[in-house]
Amino acid sequence: MEAYLIAIGIFAGIYLLLALGLNLQFGMTGLINFGHVGFFCIGAYTSALLATNGVPVALSLAAGGFAAMLAAWPLGVVSIRLREDYFAIASLGFSEIVRLVVTSEGWLTKGVQGIPGIPRIFPGVSSQMQSMLMFGLVMVLCLLAILAMRRIVKSPFGRMIEAIRDNEEAVRSLGKEPAGFKMQVLLLGSLLAGVAGGLYAHYIGYISPDQFIPFITFQIWMAIIMGGVGRISGTVAGVIILMTFLEGSRFLRDVAPFIPEVAMASIRLGVIGLALMLFTIYRPQGLMGDYTKR
Amino acid sequence: MTLEIKNMTKAYGGLRVVDDVSITMEDNDIIGVIGPNGAGKSTLFSLVTGFLDGNSGSVTFQGKELGAASATVRAQAGLVRTFQVPREFSHMTVRENLMAAVPDQLGENLLNTFFRPGQVARQEVESAAKVEETIAFLKLSAVADVPSGSLSGGQKKLLELGRALMTGAKLIMLDEPFAGVNPVLIGELSEKIRELNARGIGFLIIEHDLGALSKLVHKMYVMDRGRLISSGDPAAVLSDPVVREAYIGGGVT
Amino acid sequence: MTGFAELLFSGLMSGLIIGLAGLAVTLVFGIARFSNAATGDTMTLGAYGALVGSAFTGSVILGSLIGLAAGALASVVSYLLVFRPLQGRSPISSLLASIGLAFFIRAIIGLVFGHDQNVFQLDIVRPIKFAGIRIQPNDLKFAAVAISTLAVVFIILHLTPIGRRMRAVADNPLLAKVSGISPRPVMLALWSIAGAVSAIAGIILGMKTVVSPESGWEMLLPAFAAAVLGGIGHPIGAIVGGLLIGVAQELATPFVGFTYKIAVSFIVLLLVLLIRPKGLFGRSEGVR
Repeated sequence: MEAYLIAIGIFAGIYLLLALGLNLQFGMTGLINFGHVGFFCIGAYTSALLATNGVPVALSLAAGGFAAMLAAWPLGVVSIRLREDYFAIASLGFSEIVRLVVTSEGWLTKGVQGIPGIPRIFPGVSSQMQSMLMFGLVMVLCLLAILAMRRIVKSPFGRMIEAIRDNEEAVRSLGKEPAGFKMQVLLLGSLLAGVAGGLYAHYIGYISPDQFIPFITFQIWMAIIMGGVGRISGTVAGVIILMTFLEGSRFLRDVAPFIPEVAMASIRLGVIGLALMLFTIYRPQGLMGDYTKR
Repeated sequence: MTLEIKNMTKAYGGLRVVDDVSITMEDNDIIGVIGPNGAGKSTLFSLVTGFLDGNSGSVTFQGKELGAASATVRAQAGLVRTFQVPREFSHMTVRENLMAAVPDQLGENLLNTFFRPGQVARQEVESAAKVEETIAFLKLSAVADVPSGSLSGGQKKLLELGRALMTGAKLIMLDEPFAGVNPVLIGELSEKIRELNARGIGFLIIEHDLGALSKLVHKMYVMDRGRLISSGDPAAVLSDPVVREAYIGGGVT
Repeated sequence: MTGFAELLFSGLMSGLIIGLAGLAVTLVFGIARFSNAATGDTMTLGAYGALVGSAFTGSVILGSLIGLAAGALASVVSYLLVFRPLQGRSPISSLLASIGLAFFIRAIIGLVFGHDQNVFQLDIVRPIKFAGIRIQPNDLKFAAVAISTLAVVFIILHLTPIGRRMRAVADNPLLAKVSGISPRPVMLALWSIAGAVSAIAGIILGMKTVVSPESGWEMLLPAFAAAVLGGIGHPIGAIVGGLLIGVAQELATPFVGFTYKIAVSFIVLLLVLLIRPKGLFGRSEGVR
């Protein structure tokens, strides 16, 4: 039971890193990133490939984050200045192309078979100890990310992105270019997603392309919307709700084994889809109320 | 010459919303642009400030042809507009709105935010002092920490003027600053504009409220259906029969 | 040379499907003013409707009509239940809700029909040779259906009163409101047409390949690329965009390999956004 909770805690932490980045992008700045999973994927593959080829894990994790950030840059250059939904579509396409590349370039990524035997982060310890240390690491990184977000919120940068979310044209009328701020936010969010991807790869030890479908992106969207967009505490709450839902559906399979896993996958997809619709229509401010009081 | 608008034209399909409009402005001028609804005044503003691309025409500001410069670049050059419907950053307080307008902030870069917090903080203190002056000047102290979305229409107009001031604008283009503002505040706003003008800031003002405007401006232009139909000294313009015809025709009292 | 001609022909065929999907995207964008991410899954729904209809009636044609009706109906219902309540809110709300709708439709299809691939029972006909290139007779029928669909849509848009009102709303929503165009009939017409067009695209796609719960979602990127390439909101542009992308995909295949075929849409999308965001036929308004 304890091991189970620690495992959930690690996954929740990885999701939280993803959600904090997306919350910075959408919740605080109004940037519609539908391709978050693409950066997660780049981080996971980069770190996994480097580590399986002998690069120290600490270095490969950092490289994963950096690679995700590097990949975000050209995407931002092309589409961040345009209408907000153009970036949404372009980023969604981006994440699908990332998945296509890791599926197709078998010589590098082993294609659909995936990469097995990704080294653990802490070598030479028992698996129980591994989980404990992993949990500690993820929590420390989450804490750092939260502190970074808090600093941003209180900084002149935070003020500007809030202004951008409120009214982009007014920001332009003051001689400031929203695209520059959006780009920084895109890069930072991608860095977080890339690091989260690396943590994920090293923790579960095996990655394959079908773990990086757009559905992951929209699970994160659901988490930040439910928690209340723009709020750091809301993001934490949203991730907890999401994990409860995902684990709950797994638990349901345990008590009702006659439901096949593919059906359960459809049910998860349907519930997230339904929730996205219902929340945008009836409760865009999330479960906890107005996002201005963050 | 501060501003020279030359043969500005904007058409949607066959409809010429702004038709061959030319306006020149000397340093330190206060110029008014009036005209009935749909005359193309706000479109003209958007063309001059780079929020819309014109079909033809040019804008020269302080001796420099602006060409295809973006709205951001024009504002940085000192050509700053406000909006007919105020676009305050509604979730932010008055003070935060003004702070956001300060140009060249170190803290607008994430790297500085994390790695040069001291310098950022020092600059914030300087900016805050300037913002304090502007708040006092515009008499917004009572609402300085109120979310700007909850201000009255007149206060929002003041706030937009304040933001424009904070950018260090050399020419401020006000889009209907008196619309929906109570008479007392109109008087005060006019007074502020005169004071700022005395400090060297030019104003180009679109207005419906002819009474307040004619007392304020040095020169007035009249637009109707996209074209300039009259210009000159306010008193002369207001007694121009062509202008009276346009206004009565446009159904505006 | 014949190799090239065959690739071109096959590119035009997939281009028609992409163009139809792009048309559905662009119509909704032009009139309801948001990017509808559920377009792909409406295609899937139409294809499954046609499968069930064919099995039930024994006729592929009757079945396809049932699929078409299913797509139109689902589209209208989604307007009434999801997009109408979001009217007047930011287009982002509708876009987000359309993603939710897409997942929801796909989930229902997955639950009801499972995840196996399905095929239409079509008569196997020997390919005919025309000017040296091999052509599947079914492809000619699909092309005829696609072109008739386009003809019907353009007749509705340009020659009927409701079509004129739809175009008026697309040209200038504010003006249309002032001049007293009631939004309800326009919206109902829009969503039925968009749903029917999506369904037809989905049915043809399903007949040419296979039908699976994911098949429509995978068409979303090409559909958007076609709409953006043509100039978003511009119906003819979407068709031209679709044809160009279809041909580009086929012609690129010998160079980039079969797997990267769908990446062509993404590259096209990025190039358009980079070089000419308003698209081939678009107006610049509203791009930034």
